[in-house]
Amino acid sequence: MRRFSWLLFLLLPAAGFCQGSIGSLTGDESVFYAQTKQVNQFFLRFNGEEDIKGKRYYPGDPSYRDLKLRKKFMNILFDNSNSNITADTKFVFIDESLNKKAPAMLDFYSKGWFAEVTTTFQYKKEKVNIILYLKIEKQLKGYKWVISNVYFDKFESWFTHLNDTVNLKYFIHPMSHELDFMNLHKVFREPENLDYYFEREYQPDMTSLFVMEMKNGNLNFISVNNVKFHVFQVQNWYFEISYFNRNDANSGWLISNILRVNDKEKIELLRHYTHIN
Amino acid sequence: MNKILSVIIMVSFFAVANKGAAQDNLSPQRKQAIDSLALEKVRDLSKYISIIGDKATPWSDAQRVIERATELFMESSEIGVSSIGKQDVNYYKVREYFDRLIQLNYDKVTIDWYKIQYVSDLVRQPDGTYVGVITIYQRFQGFSKEKGLVYEDTTKKDITVYVKRKETQIGGRLISFWDVMLGDIRVKETSK
Repeated sequence: MRRFSWLLFLLLPAAGFCQGSIGSLTGDESVFYAQTKQVNQFFLRFNGEEDIKGKRYYPGDPSYRDLKLRKKFMNILFDNSNSNITADTKFVFIDESLNKKAPAMLDFYSKGWFAEVTTTFQYKKEKVNIILYLKIEKQLKGYKWVISNVYFDKFESWFTHLNDTVNLKYFIHPMSHELDFMNLHKVFREPENLDYYFEREYQPDMTSLFVMEMKNGNLNFISVNNVKFHVFQVQNWYFEISYFNRNDANSGWLISNILRVNDKEKIELLRHYTHIN
Repeated sequence: MNKILSVIIMVSFFAVANKGAAQDNLSPQRKQAIDSLALEKVRDLSKYISIIGDKATPWSDAQRVIERATELFMESSEIGVSSIGKQDVNYYKVREYFDRLIQLNYDKVTIDWYKIQYVSDLVRQPDGTYVGVITIYQRFQGFSKEKGLVYEDTTKKDITVYVKRKETQIGGRLISFWDVMLGDIRVKETSK
């Protein structure tokens, strides 16, 4: 019953919250109150550092990081339309995150989370999607987002023959050095097969290719299409946060995917999501 | 006059005689005071947008209000606009956005603002300036003489707020104060 009352309170238009407000429109604002409006608010709700109307709690406030408050917030931080996120998963995640001895906290400034930004660029004459990965980095007096990786399928298609150990045709024979590597001209005559000739451990650097194509004027930015965040800060868990633009209380920045993973699996996931081989 | 008064209030409210008192971390009280300043700027912006969009506003008055509205922003600020079902975001310079608003092809326009607003934390960027985001919601309605209401939407506006500590000399004393400027705005359509 108490849970129901809290939910009801959350969904009611907060008529008393107009002090210092921007407008005067008295429409149904309950959706906007319930909505997790900013990623910042996701973090604060997860940590129990604000009340249901968005008023901040600070250390010393009785409700600051209160586990009961956090439990209520955590229940509304999931995308309810996603059937892959089961009630059991939610229960275990919330239960483990709110462990009394060592409750999990999210920290904006710490490692263990990054943004995945899907963008549109003009590549030569074609409109293409490129994924940029960004993370928070400290510099001097403050912080900034930095590009940590880039994924563009076109770049990847240039390296389909990497690590190929079975081909018997494209290689530089072992006595080429005696001929001053004069056979290199044959190698470079067929650029489409160039990637057969690299060492086994070679990993192409997509970010460098991106910089080169930008600086050569072949890539021109058009727009950001989608933003989501991958979070690895909770022990034994990975989750993804996406923005749900819909006209109901379960909207805004919500958990769109969640997996129970150990540290080794986290590394694998990280590689998978950032396209690092 | 109001602007001068507001600056005086702002300066006296945050007056710090000692130059060395500059803080790295904002106390909750100071954060709340800065939030109020930032909200005041956003309130001014929302008022200006309503006047600029109002078809009853004479063109010359609207131009003056555009000037005032533009002064709220840091140089090179942009407004990124997207609508439901459309993938790309259109980016406009602030001035260009206001010019487009004035040219909307409706006989009557009403722009209302929901009471709710959400103010983020203030995060320090490398140059020491604090940056935050204020989220507000706007309802837009466009009417034609013949058909009445022909377009309606509700948009979420995420407004960047820059907060910088500045100093000025008043009567031979060095006074520190917090200056608030608006930056880029992301406009997302939420419903029709």
